[in-house]
Amino acid sequence: MNVAAQMTALWSGRAKRFRKEIMPYLRYMGQSGFPAFLSLFVITGAIGYFKLIQELPSQFPIAGVGVAVLTLSICWSPLRTWLASADKVFLMPREGEMKLYLQHSLRYTTLGCGLLIAFVLLLYLPIYRQGAMLIDGFFIIASAALLKLGNVWGAWQERRMAWPGMRMLLRLLRWSLTAVLLYAWLTCVLWQAAAFTLLVALLFLMLYRVPDKHHFPWERLIEEEERTRKRYYVFFGMFIDVPSQSSKVARRSYLNSLLSAVPYSNRNTFVYLYTASLLRTEIGGIVIRVMLLGSLVCWMVADSGVWSGWGAAIAYGLFVIVLAVQLGALRHTHRYSVWQHVYPLPQSHRIEQYLKVDRAAFLISAGVMWLVSSLPLLKIGLAAPLITMIAAVLLYTLIRPGRLRKKIVKEADED
Amino acid sequence: MDFMKPILQVKNVTGGYSPRKPVLHDISFEISSGEMVGLIGLNGAGKSTTIKHILGLMKPQQGQVQVNGTTLDEDPEKYRAAFSYVPESPVLFDELTVEEHLRLTGMAYTVNEAEFEQKKEKLLEQYQMLPKRKAFAAHLSKGMRQKVMIMNALLANPPLYIIDEPFLGLDPLGIRSLLDQLVEVKEQGGAILMSSHILSTVEMYCDRFIVMHQGAIAAQGTLEQILEAAGLTVQGGTLEEAFYKLVAGGRPQ
Repeated sequence: MNVAAQMTALWSGRAKRFRKEIMPYLRYMGQSGFPAFLSLFVITGAIGYFKLIQELPSQFPIAGVGVAVLTLSICWSPLRTWLASADKVFLMPREGEMKLYLQHSLRYTTLGCGLLIAFVLLLYLPIYRQGAMLIDGFFIIASAALLKLGNVWGAWQERRMAWPGMRMLLRLLRWSLTAVLLYAWLTCVLWQAAAFTLLVALLFLMLYRVPDKHHFPWERLIEEEERTRKRYYVFFGMFIDVPSQSSKVARRSYLNSLLSAVPYSNRNTFVYLYTASLLRTEIGGIVIRVMLLGSLVCWMVADSGVWSGWGAAIAYGLFVIVLAVQLGALRHTHRYSVWQHVYPLPQSHRIEQYLKVDRAAFLISAGVMWLVSSLPLLKIGLAAPLITMIAAVLLYTLIRPGRLRKKIVKEADED
Repeated sequence: MDFMKPILQVKNVTGGYSPRKPVLHDISFEISSGEMVGLIGLNGAGKSTTIKHILGLMKPQQGQVQVNGTTLDEDPEKYRAAFSYVPESPVLFDELTVEEHLRLTGMAYTVNEAEFEQKKEKLLEQYQMLPKRKAFAAHLSKGMRQKVMIMNALLANPPLYIIDEPFLGLDPLGIRSLLDQLVEVKEQGGAILMSSHILSTVEMYCDRFIVMHQGAIAAQGTLEQILEAAGLTVQGGTLEEAFYKLVAGGRPQ
């Protein structure tokens, strides 16, 4: 077997193993009612979408929405490599041949991302056509494809960079300039957008040459792969018990004051622990991202005044559901910890203190999204959806602890 | 503190994972304040199962465990507040820093806040962990993780310390520091149950020994009593010799 065939076999074998590994969880997910929820979500979304494109409000921010959805789908450039820690020993001697291995990863993930962009464009172009449409839809598709390829290449260069600060800086610059370029493509004439794109491409070609780079960023790729696998398991964890994956810790120093604010007292022992777990693990990262994305989407929908503000209420409701589901994973964090049986604290304390943290986190995140939505809605005098949104959240906050308590008791019985 | 007051009483405990096949067979021993007792035995002798019964992680099938005059069923909080535990493999929260682990322990064991601040600084200095005070547990070496476990146990300052294989992963300075600290705890009236395979250290620092073999106590008492039980002459005999005699019928080949 030649080297290329060996690398293809290695990559395919690993991809197949991963698919086999997650198959049972997909089955459980299928049995959990999630597909029904997803179908409902898709049907409601489709009805809303078709109504929206039929009666697009004159003040609808066509370019703004396009920039937001296309930036996310174009800049997000993951890379599945199936690499593991042991590869630093076993595959490192073959570093010279890893280019062949990597080609499969790039092809696989670019294809996946390409499908995502195609879907986003499919939804967005009917909206774009109702605007000024200075550039033909075909060129928008072509520019999106080119920008995607540029971002895949850029993301790879960033992965290779030795200094994390420079990597973060260039990633931020890539995301920001892609957003600006997309705005240019959606609002300017063809030659202006094309010339600007060329200039930005040249700028990046020069910028990416400056920092020191690894030939093959083993550590970074292994870390990225671990993170992706963990996300899969966090997701499956919502439906079924999954093998615990060691959780990567993020310092998030900007949130440290929240942890320090927990008073030093025996009554707050588990409040302190669960707050730290929420702020510094993947769960916190997901909650923050959902909150930010939810705030952005709700603000945009509210600003457009779709369905007299009820469009914003629906978007808000959907994000609150996602938030509640993701936050629910926090209850699993110390489920098997020996310390809950060793600390001189009643078991009921742990549950009640966990619920306290859950409630605070839920109210803060839902509150932020509500506040962001309220600014544009109040400006156009639409108070009814806002009152409904906050009333629904407060009502759910009253019901949620009881539901979580029942789940914890049930899970403890199963253990 | 009241010296020689029984702190841990294990009375006729039979237990294990299955009632049909118990791991422990009718074991009884006591540890009093101001005493350091070594729990020794081969792998699989039942040391860890004994510790699990004391911690309350396993319920005895027969018999009773009392800590500081109470059982787990009578008063779980009082029972658990009476001991701190250092497991064989450090079990830390990856998302907490060294300092935050100490804070969590202080909160759990109701250590007064001012006292906590004072003790925290002293322990961090004693275990050369000052430069690592802001480091996450996930980023510490095994030895450092073990130091955090030990600092937590010492911070809680309960009447009883249950320490399982404390020297694994510790550097020589860490071992010396721990032993000095345990002697200090003992002198102040603390009771210590220490499980270890390093027989020379156990012999040097412990007042009494419990030799476990196949889920039962093969011998217990002072070094002299252990030597006598092993049929060896008291003069010049070592714990290691007695141990081999008791559990393997002599020195292993």
